[in-house]
Amino acid sequence: MVDFQIEPQPVRVGPVVISIALTDADNHPVTGAQIAVEADMSHAGMSPVLAQANEVQPAHYETHLPLGMAGDWVIVLHGTLPNGEKIEQQFDVRNVRPN
Amino acid sequence: MNQASIPSEDNLDSPPFDLMQVPVLGPLFRWRYARPFLQIPLLLISVAMILHGLFGPSLAPKNLATTLSWLHFRGILVLVLLCTGNFFCLACPFMLVRQVARRFSRPRFTWPRGLRNKWLSVALFVLILFTYELFDLWSSPWWTAWLIIGYFLSALVVDGLFKHASFCKFVCPIGQFNFVASTLSPFEVKVRDQDVCTRCLTKDCIRGRHDATSDLVVIRGCELALFQPRKVGNMDCTFCLDCIHACPHDNVGILSRLPGRELLDDSLRSGIGYFSRRKDLAALAIVFTFGALLNAFGMVSPVYAVENWLGRMLHVSHEAPVLALIFAAFLILEPILLLGSAAWLTLAWGRVQRAFVPLVVRYSYGLVPIGFGMWLAHYSFHFLTGLYTIIPVTQNAFLSIGWPVLGEPRWTSTGLPANTVQVIEIGFLILGFAGSLAVTHGLAEEDSPAKPLRAFIPWAVVCAVLFSASLWLIFQPMEMRATLMSG
Repeated sequence: MVDFQIEPQPVRVGPVVISIALTDADNHPVTGAQIAVEADMSHAGMSPVLAQANEVQPAHYETHLPLGMAGDWVIVLHGTLPNGEKIEQQFDVRNVRPN
Repeated sequence: MNQASIPSEDNLDSPPFDLMQVPVLGPLFRWRYARPFLQIPLLLISVAMILHGLFGPSLAPKNLATTLSWLHFRGILVLVLLCTGNFFCLACPFMLVRQVARRFSRPRFTWPRGLRNKWLSVALFVLILFTYELFDLWSSPWWTAWLIIGYFLSALVVDGLFKHASFCKFVCPIGQFNFVASTLSPFEVKVRDQDVCTRCLTKDCIRGRHDATSDLVVIRGCELALFQPRKVGNMDCTFCLDCIHACPHDNVGILSRLPGRELLDDSLRSGIGYFSRRKDLAALAIVFTFGALLNAFGMVSPVYAVENWLGRMLHVSHEAPVLALIFAAFLILEPILLLGSAAWLTLAWGRVQRAFVPLVVRYSYGLVPIGFGMWLAHYSFHFLTGLYTIIPVTQNAFLSIGWPVLGEPRWTSTGLPANTVQVIEIGFLILGFAGSLAVTHGLAEEDSPAKPLRAFIPWAVVCAVLFSASLWLIFQPMEMRATLMSG
C-alpha cells in the first residue's frame, strides 16, 4: 500500500516535497524499495519531471520536484520492491496554483 | 497625363506563380491518384492514434492520440494554411474511407434544401469548442480517440446517404475552420485563362469527365458545386484536385494570390453567392474570430477565477452552465456589442448607404485575419513548445507493442523555449491585426469613398480591442488544467 503526500498545501508552482510511505498487504513497512517519481501535466507537450525518492526513514521515502506550471499534474510512482516486484501507482494533483 | 500611360492594377500585378508548374509537385498533383496517395499516410496515422488512444497510456503527454491531435495536427494545420492553402482537406483521411465505402453503396439522397448553408456547421463548430472545454479533450486520449472515430462515422453516414460532398460543405467543423482560414492563404485553385473556359463546351470541371461510350463519369467534377470559371477565392474549396483532373484543357492551376484579398471581394461566387448576403457565413467568420480568443482564454489563469466567481454567483457547482455562460459572452454578447456599435457608428458617422445587418455581415469578414492570428499564436505555441514530444511518445508506443525498434523514450525532448515561441506568437498577432486593418479599410473605402476614415475608424477600434485582448491573453500564465472549476 502506498501512502502519498505532497507539500506544501495548497500546492503551488515551484519546488514541492513528495512523501511516500510503503506497507505490504499485512500492513508491514516495506524498506529498501527503489522508487522513481514522475510528474506529468494533463496536457500533451509538456516534459515530465523525474526524480528518485530516497528512503529518509524506514519505509518512508521522500523526494523534491519542481512543478513548473500551474494546472493539473499527475504524479506516477514507479517502484521496485526488495523482492523484485514492480509497482506503479498514479496520483492526481489538481489545481496547482501559480506563484 | 495620357490615360493610356497609367498602369492599371492588373498590369501592376506580376503573373501568378503556379504550384502546378513546380517540379515533382505539379506531376504529383496531376496524377489521378494524388489524393489517395496523400490520404493513405494520414489514414494510417489516424488508425494508430485511435488504437493508442483507446488502448495506450491514459496520460495525455504519453499518448499518440492527444499528442498528435492537440499539438502537431493543429499546429501544422494552421501553418500550412498560412503558408500554402487548404492542403489538409486534400489529404483528409475521412474522405478516403467514404470514397471506399461509396464503391459499395452509392448515396441516394440530395442534401436537404433547408440545410444548404453553414448554420449546422457553425453549431457543430461551437459544439466542438464547447465539448473540448467541458470534457477536457486535450487531457483524455480515450475521448480524443472517440472524437476521431466520431468524425470517421459522421463522414461515412452523411456521405453514405447524401450525394456529392455534403459532409465537407455543410457539416465538417474542421472543414469550415479550414475554409475560413484559407481565405488568408497565398494559394488558390483557379483557372489560368478565362478565355479557355469561355470557349469550353463540356464544363467538365463541374460536370465531371464522362466516358465517351458508356457516358459514365470517369473523373468527378467539383462535388462542392464550385464552377471554376466563376469560383472566387478559397471558401468551400477542399483542394481535392477534381477540377484539375477533370479539365480537358489543363486550364486549372494552384495559383498564388494576395492573402485576404478575397475578403474584400463581394462579387457573385459560384456555389456560395454573395458574401454580403450570407448571414450564415458571417456567423461562421464571427465564431472563427471570437472562438479563437475564447479557446485561448480557456487555457489561462483568469478563466478559473471567472468560472469560480460565476459558479458562486449562480450557486452551481457543475461546469456546463458556467461554461455555457462564458461561451455566450464570447460568441454572442461580445460580437453583438462590438460589431453592433461599430456598425451603428459607421452608419451614423460615416454615412454609409447600407442597412444595419448587411453592414455587420460585410465587416465581419474583415475580422477573420485577427482571428486567424490568434489561432496561429495559440496552436503554434503548443506545437512549437512540444515539437519534439512526438519522438518519445512514438518510441513509447513501439515499446508498448513489444517492438523497441526506436529505442528507449527520451522524455526530456520537448520543443522550443516558451519565450522564443512568444515572439513568434506576437508576430502572428501583429500580422492578423494588420490584415484586419487592411481589409476593413478596403471595405470602408468602397462604402464611403469620400470619407473612408469615418467608416473605417469604428472597425479599426474593434480590431484594436481584439488585438489588445489577444496580446493580453498570450501574456497570461498558462494553466494546463483537466478541471475547470476548482473545489
